Amino acid sequence: MKEDFAAAKAWLAHIAELPLTRPVAVMNVCGGHERSLSMLGLRGVLPPLVRLIPGPGCPVCVCPEEDLADAISLAMAGDVTLAAFGDMLRVPINAPKGEVRSLAEARAAGADVRPISSPREVVALARAMPERQVVFFAAGFETTTAPVAAMLAEGVPDNLSLLLSARLTWPAVDMLLREDATSLDALIAPGHVAVVMGAEEWRFIPETYHLPVAVAGFSANSLLAALYSVLRQKLDGKPFLDNCYAELVRPEGNKRAQSLMAEVLEVGDANWRGIGVIRNSGFALRGAWRRYDARARHEFTTLPRRHAGEMPPGCDCATVVLGKKQPDQCRLYGRACTPQSPVGPCMVSDEGACHIWWQAGTRAAA
Amino acid sequence: MCLGIPMQVVSIDRFNAECEARGITRTISLFMIGENEVEVGDYVMTHVGYALRKMTPEDARLSWELFDEILAAADQ
Repeated sequence: MKEDFAAAKAWLAHIAELPLTRPVAVMNVCGGHERSLSMLGLRGVLPPLVRLIPGPGCPVCVCPEEDLADAISLAMAGDVTLAAFGDMLRVPINAPKGEVRSLAEARAAGADVRPISSPREVVALARAMPERQVVFFAAGFETTTAPVAAMLAEGVPDNLSLLLSARLTWPAVDMLLREDATSLDALIAPGHVAVVMGAEEWRFIPETYHLPVAVAGFSANSLLAALYSVLRQKLDGKPFLDNCYAELVRPEGNKRAQSLMAEVLEVGDANWRGIGVIRNSGFALRGAWRRYDARARHEFTTLPRRHAGEMPPGCDCATVVLGKKQPDQCRLYGRACTPQSPVGPCMVSDEGACHIWWQAGTRAAA
Repeated sequence: MCLGIPMQVVSIDRFNAECEARGITRTISLFMIGENEVEVGDYVMTHVGYALRKMTPEDARLSWELFDEILAAADQ
């Protein structure tokens, strides 16, 4: 990373020269951004007044517990093959001890659960066994939801259905700012979400909330350029929408992907685990596409659960997702909860802030 | 799950492109960008088996350098 490193050093020098006098809180809303920031050690080389906060950037972390319970009960019923992105398999629900608590445990108990990494694999799976029902448990933000929409629009076999748990990123940020616009000073907008949806989607941040925002890519160079932009905007008192990933992000995004999504999906209110319902933050199948809805096709038994809908007891994942606590401020972090035996989804997912901080070497606060 | 991976197009059959990165070959769908948008030799940003956008060779190279750095940090 020679060239990028030189450019990143130049941005660091520019940031160091900014006349900051008060702490500035900058939130990112993308697990990929958090991974870059943590693994490249950028927090350690920034001025102490700059605080980088991981926000709602992990779709696995906010996947409703009831959707997970439905997926597990469907898989345990035995007459379907359940496919899910690998990240979802170890996410636990609040079932009593002795009950099956995750898709991984369901699989160990004999259920046909298949970890997949692409919607294309699910289509191939369904085509390979036309006599069997295949359910695709699809959780994700726009970057993943667009391919799921493309998969449907391109044509899928009749034995495939969807348990959709797809979410939009910006409504969670909108909710955070609506409830409390004072604890954040600026935002870094997610790069690959913006490749699909367009940079313009984030214009509400300066226009409605008068806060700086910049779309960033994932290199140190792009992230530091975006950080410099929002800090500069903050100092100037002139917030605007900046795009520091212009090589891939167009103002309008990928129109073809958006029209595929609009064709098969509609936007509505949706539940976020431990957080509650956020307006217009979820995707559901629309019109004739509802024939692919697993909920219309299969019977669901309710699993016995305590704390239904919540994060596991003692787990601060929801507070971490909202940026109100840092991972190492959770009582369970690094003690009861590690990547080897995760309690909450933020420690399971590759995009969960807890998992990322642990991988980057942050250990429990003393 | 939202981190895309740059790959180079090796061959195209309508909406399906054989793509290569670091010696690994995958069939990538071009359905989200349209079949006439890319040619053999082009680079695309891919995510969960779908091309999100065409990109320049230079941007693809910089993305891979970032992955190398993150993977190296994870191994330490």
